[in-house]
Amino acid sequence: MSRSVWKGPFVDAYVLKKAEAARESGRKEVIKIWSRRSTILPQFVGLTFGVYNGRKHITVNVSEDMIGQKFGEYSPTRTYHGHAADKKAKRK
Amino acid sequence: MNDQICVGAIAGAFGVNGEVRLKSFTATPEDIATYSPLTSEDGKQSFEITLNRPIPNGFAARLSGVATKEQADSLRGLRLFTTRDRLPNLPDNEYYHADLIGVSVYDGGGTLLGTVKDVTNHGAGDMLEVQLPKTNDTVFLPFTNDAVPTVDLASGRIVADPPDGLF
Repeated sequence: MSRSVWKGPFVDAYVLKKAEAARESGRKEVIKIWSRRSTILPQFVGLTFGVYNGRKHITVNVSEDMIGQKFGEYSPTRTYHGHAADKKAKRK
Repeated sequence: MNDQICVGAIAGAFGVNGEVRLKSFTATPEDIATYSPLTSEDGKQSFEITLNRPIPNGFAARLSGVATKEQADSLRGLRLFTTRDRLPNLPDNEYYHADLIGVSVYDGGGTLLGTVKDVTNHGAGDMLEVQLPKTNDTVFLPFTNDAVPTVDLASGRIVADPPDGLF
């Protein structure tokens, strides 16, 4: 069953505070959070979070198409190293 | 930079007619046939590859010089390699993972931050997994123009401008 709309998206309060402080400071920094359950809000776009995966913080650059997802979706808890083969990475 | 790149492996025989079960590690699995002929790691064996059909976890394929099930079974576990120069050239700002892995990462002041251990994408863009010097710890550096302003593969050097608190 989906969450009632009248409640609004869930975000841990400390995440909002940290994000607001980072935005006001204007410094480029990693905001370390442990709240994987928090929803990604529009005001987080452009910020860099370090989302805890149970072992370490995984860097997550928030972009517009991530709004509405949870932070935990971008911080996998299991390690998998595939083969490099002909896979490519694009610098954006 | 390693000149040989592993693009697949043979998982054993498929059926009784000399076909093999071929696992592909390429970004698009069917592309493994375009790098044919593939060699073993020591370069002593070379195979032309024909993909017959997809099967669970790979392809049923025919290799040149392999005609029987016994020959196919004897190749089980063999990893197949191509050379770096057979990969097509990429546009600016695109890099093969194989080229980035092993490259040293420095900050703007020339201090060594670590070595690229892997390139990953967890859904929030490509990231370099950088292994810190003298430890097994790793950090994830976003592969963006802001965080990684310079990639100089010729000299094996990446210059990073990481966000505060990352390293």
